[in-house]
Amino acid sequence: MRTMRTAAVAALAAAPLALAACSGDDGDGVTLRYAFWDDNQVPAMEAIVEAFEDANPDIDIELEQNDWDAYWTSLDTQFAGQNAPDVFWNHVSKFPTFAESEVLLPIGDRIEEDGLDTSIYPAELYDSWTFDGEQYGLPKDWDSIALVYRIDALEAAGIDPAEVDDLEWNPDDGGTYVEFLQRLTIDENGNNALSPDFDADNVAQYGTAMSSGTGQTDWWNYAVQNGCEIQSEPFGPYLIDAPECVEAVQFTADLYNRWGVTVPATSTNQPAGGLANEFVSSGQAATATDGSWTLSAYREGLEQGTWAVGPLPSGPVGDGTVINGLSNAIYAGSEHPDEAWEFVKFLGSEEAQKIAADMGSVWPGVSSLNQNFTDFWAEEGVDVSGFQAAAEGPSTGYPLSLNDSVYSQVALEEFNQVWLGEKDAASATEEVVAEANAE
Amino acid sequence: MSIPSPTADDVSEGIMSTLQESARPQPGVSDNRPGERRALHRRRRLRTTLEAYGLLAPSVIGFAVFLLAPIVIVIALSFYDWNFLSSPEFIGLQNYRDLADDDRAVDAIGNTFYYVLLNIPAQTVLALLLALALNAKIKARNAFRVIYVLPWMAMPVALGVIWRWLFDPIYGGLNTMLGLVGIDGPNWLTSSTWAMPVIASVNVWQFTGYTMLFFLAGLQSIPHQLYEAADVDGASKAYQFFKITLPLLRPAMMFVLVTSVIGSFQVFDTIHVMTAGQHETATLNYEVFLQAFTHRNAGYASTLAVVLFAIIMLITLIQVAFFRKRTTYDFS
Repeated sequence: MRTMRTAAVAALAAAPLALAACSGDDGDGVTLRYAFWDDNQVPAMEAIVEAFEDANPDIDIELEQNDWDAYWTSLDTQFAGQNAPDVFWNHVSKFPTFAESEVLLPIGDRIEEDGLDTSIYPAELYDSWTFDGEQYGLPKDWDSIALVYRIDALEAAGIDPAEVDDLEWNPDDGGTYVEFLQRLTIDENGNNALSPDFDADNVAQYGTAMSSGTGQTDWWNYAVQNGCEIQSEPFGPYLIDAPECVEAVQFTADLYNRWGVTVPATSTNQPAGGLANEFVSSGQAATATDGSWTLSAYREGLEQGTWAVGPLPSGPVGDGTVINGLSNAIYAGSEHPDEAWEFVKFLGSEEAQKIAADMGSVWPGVSSLNQNFTDFWAEEGVDVSGFQAAAEGPSTGYPLSLNDSVYSQVALEEFNQVWLGEKDAASATEEVVAEANAE
Repeated sequence: MSIPSPTADDVSEGIMSTLQESARPQPGVSDNRPGERRALHRRRRLRTTLEAYGLLAPSVIGFAVFLLAPIVIVIALSFYDWNFLSSPEFIGLQNYRDLADDDRAVDAIGNTFYYVLLNIPAQTVLALLLALALNAKIKARNAFRVIYVLPWMAMPVALGVIWRWLFDPIYGGLNTMLGLVGIDGPNWLTSSTWAMPVIASVNVWQFTGYTMLFFLAGLQSIPHQLYEAADVDGASKAYQFFKITLPLLRPAMMFVLVTSVIGSFQVFDTIHVMTAGQHETATLNYEVFLQAFTHRNAGYASTLAVVLFAIIMLITLIQVAFFRKRTTYDFS
């Protein structure tokens, strides 16, 4: 479960040492520290760093990796100790607070001086790294949410994978989506959840798995599909106590408790629980709503040709997904801002992002490279166009707020109780809104 | 017992006089010229002093840099508003005033006391019973001693992860075994009723062996003549336990209780790994972590840390006062 990640992280702790050791030969060079969190992307990061070091023999890059939670706490303490990494992955939920506190180096002037063509990125992606009229990053990648499913599980349940394209949900009877998941929820005796003999206490395989600590890979998507707006506008108050949002939260809770087609929240609630891809890989779930950045985890866990990616179901209002992206930021206190800028410029370049796209690591920030990513996965036997189609349709971004830390904590605690069936959706959303909008 | 035994005072007087004796100049070795002898003596004393300070330096420096300075900084920070990123802003007692309205902090204090109450009595009684059992002449005694201490040697985070698996309601070992005998096990770690007792029991399991070591050492320093004499007088085993063993174990008991109570007020890693402070398992120390590193309220987190420090200090002082009156170190 999570520990596999922890173990991987532990193993990787040695990686920067090894990298540092083999690159310390030229005396007058500059060493930059580059921090990131996702262990799925380690191979791509290493390849990109190697390409940069080949082109810039005077600059060494030291990789520093932490898992998501530890990444942000250590970044905070490193800012406080004025010893943060020169370059690091940035996330839109954290970015506004960093920009406001002036720990990020503005790069608008440098972009202009170097005459960088920023039209190679989708405009929304580029603009999402603007705060108070100043640019703080170049897009590294983008991601969206889709339905990952095991073809063999569908076939065993007598479901034609083509059905995935037309699934619909509604808050009343669950719609074809819930029925699809019921047929995939199978007890120890082989009865599915629609059978009168179904034994809900001994389930061998659940229809789906959800493991989002924020909502990004589960209820935010149902929210978009139900016409809910999480926020009135960027940096505006959270609006998740509106009826359309409460309904989306309730539908997510229903998947757990009313329909029982989801790996129970006792096993998936974050941050202690397992991840959706782990339940799919181990056969405990047939499908998962998951982010494009997790594709390589599925590739590692499942045989080639046994899994595929399809669109999310549509809701009462229509299609919808959550899109997001990362950027590379420069620490304002870096001793080598010029070298850091060279590195960030490279990370944002077509050359660097082509390396990641060709390795199937993440959807690239540079639009023209989307095909490279698609091609890599086509060769692996997976059609990933579902993510792209989703991103081109109706979507929501990650909410932007200076209160994200409060919102995240309260939302995690409240919604975990809703998924467990211990709290109703309306009172949980009210409490989240009250706390997150208060400060 | 009819043979008069020396009191503690007699013993310490004896030790003192022996020490003084050895400090006196040895006859024959001493110098005849008094002035030079005094100078030599002074120089020697200076050297001894410097040597002593030199030997103390590493631990004093360590204490100052890694303990004293952080404590002073935390107390100072508790009067500031600081998000790690901008410069700290002095706000006087505002953090302490906020404390009164902070339901989470109040709950956290309650959770902390609940945890300590679950943890300490069970751990202490179990450790004592184990020590009694392993002090008796049984087969493979040493092997058992090692086995019980093993959990203490393992990393709490790693243990937390393994126990989290075992307590998983669907895929975990515990509920699978309960299922075999027809019991439908609860959702251990996501139930407000069970989560804290589970965490406490994991920590009891981890630290009982370690605590046992101190009781074992204490038991071995009790002279066996006392038990022989009690046997002659016809005292029952239970009577011997309450009248000889328990009173003479008080130094060990004091050490064990003081250190384990402090440790259990500071519980963090098991909670972080097993429940992340959810389901009413957020102790005060965990709330310090959340306030500092999730909410970026370093000032307010420091305030909570000061409160935790004050609580621990108070309880430790009470324990020390209690034991000081009732402890004898005289086993003869």
